[in-house]
Amino acid sequence: MIIINKILNVDDYYFDVFMSISEALTGFSVNELQATGLAETYYTYILENLQAATFVEFLTVSKNVFENSFSEAQLKNAIASEIMADPGLNDLAGKVITIWYLGTWEGAYINDRSYKEGLVWNVMHAHPPGAKQPGYKSWAVKPVNSHS
Amino acid sequence: MSQTANKKDVIIVGTGIAGSLIAKLLSDHVFDAEKGKMIHRADAKQSDSIRELSILMFEAGLEAGVELDSVSSMTNYNEYMRTFFTQEAKVPNSPYPNLKQAPSPNVLDVEPITPPFPDKKGYLVQFGPMPFASDAIRVGGGTTLHWLGTTPRMLPNDFRLTEKYGIEIDKPDATEKAPINWPIDYETLKPYYEMAEFEIGVSGNVSKQEYPISESMEQYYGDYVFPMEEIPQSYMDQKIIDGLAGTSVQLNFENIPLMLVPSPQGRNSTPNPTYGKTKIIKAETAQTGYKLVLDSSEKEAYKALGSVWNPYMGERCEGNASCVPICPVQAKFNALKTLKKALYKINENDNLARNPYLEIKAQCVVYRLSVDQQDKISKIHLRRYISKEKTDFAEEVIDASDSIVILAANAFENPKILLNSTYTVIENGQKVEKTVANRSDQVGRNLMDHMVMLTWGLFPEPVYSYRGPGSTTNISSFRDGNFRSEFSAWISPLDNWGWSWPAFSPGSDLSEFLGEGLFGAELKEALTYRLSRQVLFHFEIEQLPNPNNRVTINNEYMDVLGIPRPVIHYELTDYEKRALEQAKLASDQMFEKLGIKDFTQYNATDSNTVVYNNVRYSYNGAGHIVGTHRMGSTPDDSVTNSYCKSWDHPNLYIVGAGNMTTLGTSNPTLTLSAFTIRSVESILADLETKLKN
Repeated sequence: MIIINKILNVDDYYFDVFMSISEALTGFSVNELQATGLAETYYTYILENLQAATFVEFLTVSKNVFENSFSEAQLKNAIASEIMADPGLNDLAGKVITIWYLGTWEGAYINDRSYKEGLVWNVMHAHPPGAKQPGYKSWAVKPVNSHS
Repeated sequence: MSQTANKKDVIIVGTGIAGSLIAKLLSDHVFDAEKGKMIHRADAKQSDSIRELSILMFEAGLEAGVELDSVSSMTNYNEYMRTFFTQEAKVPNSPYPNLKQAPSPNVLDVEPITPPFPDKKGYLVQFGPMPFASDAIRVGGGTTLHWLGTTPRMLPNDFRLTEKYGIEIDKPDATEKAPINWPIDYETLKPYYEMAEFEIGVSGNVSKQEYPISESMEQYYGDYVFPMEEIPQSYMDQKIIDGLAGTSVQLNFENIPLMLVPSPQGRNSTPNPTYGKTKIIKAETAQTGYKLVLDSSEKEAYKALGSVWNPYMGERCEGNASCVPICPVQAKFNALKTLKKALYKINENDNLARNPYLEIKAQCVVYRLSVDQQDKISKIHLRRYISKEKTDFAEEVIDASDSIVILAANAFENPKILLNSTYTVIENGQKVEKTVANRSDQVGRNLMDHMVMLTWGLFPEPVYSYRGPGSTTNISSFRDGNFRSEFSAWISPLDNWGWSWPAFSPGSDLSEFLGEGLFGAELKEALTYRLSRQVLFHFEIEQLPNPNNRVTINNEYMDVLGIPRPVIHYELTDYEKRALEQAKLASDQMFEKLGIKDFTQYNATDSNTVVYNNVRYSYNGAGHIVGTHRMGSTPDDSVTNSYCKSWDHPNLYIVGAGNMTTLGTSNPTLTLSAFTIRSVESILADLETKLKN
């Protein structure tokens, strides 16, 4: 049986919002984000490293954005106007995107796994240097996952 | 056979590639007292007349870095890997311990200098005017832990720039000009290149090598294949080759056809069946002294040598794409592999057993040599620190009067130790102060590096960079030619890792797009587009020896153990600057042919930047720290002879990249390995003389 590291109490309530807004901001599905194995780690890390009120505001706005959007286009516009256009929230959105793409928060890796789970390596059809090595000669052909 | 407990036959300072090669080759030989000759173990019969050589090595880095039993070496190497994963800036030194007791130069410390004030931020004290831009690491195995692994040999004309192109440089006192030919030529070094390629384990295809030289490839390589088959060229390389093959580039001087060559590399691929059985490097008695040969009489097939802790790991490159700073599986050669062969020998039961005649003492920072009345090195002074955390140290003096002393540290440390070793002699009734090995006043001078000018852009279609070894192809066209009388030659590796070096990609691309307000699918698309098309061209420009580019010491600048730090004076000449200009011309033409959109930017704030003919060029260091104890033909203009033996002291050898008379366009490790192997012939002859008495 898989035991998932439980997010407790009120934080628990916002975890799904965090994952949904992460999906919308990164362009990676919740499943893909979960597959990094670091979703809970990142969530609790942000909780611990940010003033609670700031994070709660970000998540509350995010929640409203989802509740008032009924199509992809609406959602995109709402994120652009409600989050990306707001200087404070824009900064936090950038940090959330960065934690997923690079595994860093304000320049520092969260732990020795977050570098390897950076999504940026997936979008370029490569792998984090020094990890997830694709095998001998793999570099001589097109990446198998490049869909082209 | 009785051996004096404390007196060693050979003392080696440094466990990098030069020290490890010497330790390995010497520990493979024994003294046959009956014949009065040094012989290879393979030729030694069980007998009382065999005397083992006792060898002591010193390493400035941590103890854990030279513990090479399987468990310890794996544990320690995994610690390097863990550090690498968590380091924000994954620069070459990032995985390795950053020691205050044995500090290392770090590229993160390089910054512009405002003369006359030196930059003292890092380990090096840099007076400039140009900062020296390369790093090295003081750790068991030395800087081979983070070398890229590219192993081209030098070209014949690299050894004779004066003879061929009339280039001369100032003498240290600037009174007259001096030639810069090597004391040896390519032909002399050729068999030792083969030995170095065996020991390092080079993969490559001889028949695909193509260089702009007048010798035929038949003359250059002879009837030869590399030990292992070619490392496949990257998908990106093939796209670039498709666009450039058969074309040429117009420089101010001449039209130069482009030769795109798969690079020979010190990383494991598949053993080449044509290479035959495995070899041994073995001394044979020559008319005078000894000759090393690559002996093929072994019965076992040639095998790729995997990691230090598990020979079945790293037998072949796995595409980790992190040769620099660390190969996770050790498919890339590092000197610990050679050191392990010195430390462990096959015993009579065919098991690997610890060689009791080789002792390695780590955390020992050698800082001074003493000289006796006969000009022999009599003592080695070192400071042994207690732990990584503490800076307390024990002062130790090692008796070296009956030993052959081999300085095998890097090209900052070797001259630093020598310059710190002064002694007084009485000449004509006068006290004269001298510096060890420095009769020529060349110790510390002629510090060189390749200037790496980078150009980068976006390829018109995805080339899927960031995959494979750092570089698998190079453009060899500019490695030699008549233009060398006017400006530097260069080699142009194609770099497989996108813009990570010049632009800190992919992090910088992400910040850029976030700055534009991109998110979601659009962000993903922008990153995919950008990152899969990034190409990086690389121009490694030869720097000429220059007596004013030098390592000195100064009592004002000490490290925490009270040992002088290297003080660097360094500048470029128009010979190199003009090559930057010409290389950029070549780059522009190649980018145009390929339809590459140029993103290259050189800024006034770059740490290494010059304006030449009103145009700005910036460059990086290549990590090729070379030339501070040059070899030469006479004691007047060089520190050692061609066997790396000091002209001034009968029991002192100085080995490493510092011996290189000039730099050429090759990555220096293979060449320094070749002449280091050759130096063992002279060391064996000295040992014979010593042991006969």
